[in-house]
Amino acid sequence: MTPVTAGRARPAHAGRRRRFSAAAPPWFFAAPALVVYALVVLYPAVSGVVYAFTDWSGIGQDMSFVGLANFRTLLGDEQAMGSIGNTLLLTVAIVAVQNGVGLLLALGVHARLKSRALLRVIFFSPVVVSPVMVAFLWKYIYNPDPSAGLNGLLGLHVDWLGDPSVALWSIAGMVVWQYAGYSMVIFLAGLEGVPRELHEAAMIDGAGTFQRFRYVTWPLLAPAVTINLMLSTIGGLKLFDQVFAATNGGPGYATETLSTVLYKQAFVFGKFGYSTAVALVLALFVAAVSLVQVYYLRRREVTA
Amino acid sequence: MTDLLRDARLSRGQFLRMMGGLAAAAAATACSTRPETTATTGGGQAATELKFIGVADQKTPMDQLAAAYQTSKPSVRITASYAPTDQVQTSLRTQLGAGNAPDLHVVYPGNGSAMSMTQIAKAGLLADLSAQAWTQTIPAGFKPAFQLDGKTYIFSAGSSVIGAVYNKKVFEKAGIEAPPTTWSEFLAVCDKLKKAGVAPIALGAQTPWVTQLITYALVPSTVYAKDPAFDDKQLAGQASFADSGWRDAMEMYLELQKRGFFNDNPNGTTFEQQTSMVATGKAGMAIQVSAVLPDFRKAASSPDDLSMFPVPGADDANSVWIPAGVVVGLGASAKGKNAEEAKAFIDYLGKQESINAWAKAIAAIPLTQDASSTIDPAVESFLPFTKDRAVPFMDQRWPNAEVQPVHFAVIQELLAGKSTIDEALKKMDEAYKK
Amino acid sequence: MRRTFLLEIVMIAVAVAFLFPVYSLVSLSLKDPGQISRSPLALPDPPTFDNYGSAWSAAALGPSLVNSTVITVVSLVALIALGSFAAYFLARVQSRLGYGLYILFLLGIVLPFQLGMIPLYELVSDLGLIGTHAGMILFYTGIQLPFTVFLYTGFIRALPREYASAAQIDGASHLTAFTRVVFPLLRPITGTVLILNAVFIWNDFFTPLVYLGGSGFETVPVSVFAFVGQYVSDHGLVFAGLVLGALPIVVVFLALQRYVIKGFSSGLKG
Repeated sequence: MTPVTAGRARPAHAGRRRRFSAAAPPWFFAAPALVVYALVVLYPAVSGVVYAFTDWSGIGQDMSFVGLANFRTLLGDEQAMGSIGNTLLLTVAIVAVQNGVGLLLALGVHARLKSRALLRVIFFSPVVVSPVMVAFLWKYIYNPDPSAGLNGLLGLHVDWLGDPSVALWSIAGMVVWQYAGYSMVIFLAGLEGVPRELHEAAMIDGAGTFQRFRYVTWPLLAPAVTINLMLSTIGGLKLFDQVFAATNGGPGYATETLSTVLYKQAFVFGKFGYSTAVALVLALFVAAVSLVQVYYLRRREVTA
Repeated sequence: MTDLLRDARLSRGQFLRMMGGLAAAAAATACSTRPETTATTGGGQAATELKFIGVADQKTPMDQLAAAYQTSKPSVRITASYAPTDQVQTSLRTQLGAGNAPDLHVVYPGNGSAMSMTQIAKAGLLADLSAQAWTQTIPAGFKPAFQLDGKTYIFSAGSSVIGAVYNKKVFEKAGIEAPPTTWSEFLAVCDKLKKAGVAPIALGAQTPWVTQLITYALVPSTVYAKDPAFDDKQLAGQASFADSGWRDAMEMYLELQKRGFFNDNPNGTTFEQQTSMVATGKAGMAIQVSAVLPDFRKAASSPDDLSMFPVPGADDANSVWIPAGVVVGLGASAKGKNAEEAKAFIDYLGKQESINAWAKAIAAIPLTQDASSTIDPAVESFLPFTKDRAVPFMDQRWPNAEVQPVHFAVIQELLAGKSTIDEALKKMDEAYKK
Repeated sequence: MRRTFLLEIVMIAVAVAFLFPVYSLVSLSLKDPGQISRSPLALPDPPTFDNYGSAWSAAALGPSLVNSTVITVVSLVALIALGSFAAYFLARVQSRLGYGLYILFLLGIVLPFQLGMIPLYELVSDLGLIGTHAGMILFYTGIQLPFTVFLYTGFIRALPREYASAAQIDGASHLTAFTRVVFPLLRPITGTVLILNAVFIWNDFFTPLVYLGGSGFETVPVSVFAFVGQYVSDHGLVFAGLVLGALPIVVVFLALQRYVIKGFSSGLKG
């Protein structure tokens, strides 16, 4: 077996190993993208932020500047504060389970199974379907009727989306079902980068399956872990479509997340200014968490 | 602040429109799929295109009347799009917020929701319809639903009632001869249904708006029958949810649950499941608004199996009141360039013939009636009440859009046993004061 | 040998359990309402395709398919062109400014879309692009650029610099070096960029609802959900609508799956 990992054929010139690095590409390479990005994302976001300091209802001309009042309201808003807790719980559950399941699936289909190609396709396919459609489907799967859906299959009597102490986890389950395949392919990418020789060497040294995973595979999976944790954390914190379609934040406030709160404030309660303040807090929150995560995980990648 | 923002946009807008023209031209040459915005009709004259955005319930009557209108007035073309309420609310609020409203759009009567007549008219976005003849005949009791400061801003074809949609065959099988007329009779009926092995009342409380209907069905009897001016007192701060018949209504709601009169897991059951339970005879009845009768009929093997009766919220048949609210309607954008054509279409909807057609399609009681008006036989038992023992749906008089969603949420919490009536009413009072 | 066999059995069992929701979806879409309430879990007996016929005509999916395809394809071309060029610059430039620019792009991944929703709508409306394909294409190109740039930059950073340098020694300009030498090397990550963006754009529901609603240029999800909203109480019909709405993207995925998953694997190594 020849190692194929970094084995793409290099052009002959590369062999000369000149200590000469071409100048960076000119700025106009980035300019068109920057213009479109600034127009569609940055400019609207920055002008949107202005509303966070107003009492605008979302329609009409009446608007006055209220300073930081919206942020003070947020601190005293029981419902919004509760939603932060839900958002965190949901994110932790999704990150842990989606990546745990994704890793196990990746290890499974990485082995030399006859059905591996088919299995990969099966596990990845929910990723391509719209989250709202998946939520519609799962709403049926989760229906409390003991003869239908998941209850019918497992012989249970659980009120998956109607019981406030279960609903949040049911949503997490639905998200994990859809995206475990996504984590799986990223881990697979990492696994394919682990040279087989290392395993063989470790086997000769008498290492067991677990030990080989722990000391050979796991450290080399670090970059895949970083990407997976980051993407699933951001996805979890910003999760909206699935919650909105499955429970709309209910029963009561049991599955209300920051995203559904800011949505309702803007479009149901007619408090656009306040909603923007919540959106701003969410954005800072996501940015802070992902920065800390990347910083910590990149360090692990280096030391691992 | 406001003016500053708006002024800045004017000049920027002109610039961008120019840029947009370029981009669109480029796109048009690139894939030549850019839509034609003005259509031409047979006579070769340019047609005015009226854009309408509505909720799914409006599709049947609107499509029918728009088609008829276009036949009589070929220079107008109406392009309508429909979506479920939440989605319409989101897209319309975005368009209204950005100052780009469709010519005609769905409006909810009265106040109490972000898409309600009062909230949108206050922002100056609805055209005044007061000059149209039909507005002169709006029954006095319905005026608050149509008017703000004496001006009419919304068209609606009539009213619907909240009551029990029941399956006649199931009632017969359980040995129930006549619909109940007092609360104790109502409980007795539920008991009989339960003994007959069906769920007496199907409740699809996972769908948020369904949660409110039982309270709405009871509150007219427990609150308004005793104090018809309750709304005004509450607005003036002299009355509250916590110290009123609302408490009795909530207690009655939970009594139904305690006695096991609902299906299992109402919080996990959707409106759709509720509908099919009653239609297929797995449940005896559902407390619902008459506007969804067509949904129940569609799901039933024989539509005639279904009928309605008023929910008696009092032990004296004479003090039973019912909720009768104006159905969701539409308004014209005040700022659109086709405002006059849009108003002309609404004027057409205001004709008695159109009102009759619209009302018939959604089983509503027509706003005004003539010899050719029809009233769905299922709601006939409500007619004796509509004169002086009916009140509009409660949210139509609430001062802001927050009370109603709080009501939904606290009912779900109560059904889940995660809250008490005291806490629930306190939350509603807090939302009312916001 | 026996262990591999055992693992194979376990994985197949997991896959079967994993497919249960899909089974429910398809089997319900092949049942009439009577069958659904009598035997929700059983196989459809006999299967009926009536739901598909009604769903297809009621949801008017034909024109929507064309709209979705045009918007998705043009946006993807724009994203790949703009994204790969920008990423090449960001991955190779050494200055602090270049790094700052990279971070600026990444910011787009964390921003909640609700933040700029109304100003963006005003902008597209000022451009006169509401209700047009061009407006949607502009929107998707902008909104998906951060993720596209992120994927490309990571991959290019891991690519030895020598390729382009070598070409340049041979006298090629930056532009030629990129298009002739570097871009072909990006094929794996381009596959990833393609599928992830295609999935997002094809499935997006909210923006086309707001921007295209009532224009006669609705995309597939908008048509499907308008349909679903109207027939909510008929699960068989609704599920047939969902299957029809998901089918095009699933078919494309299945046709390209070998390439997609491989590209994904090698693409994300960077």
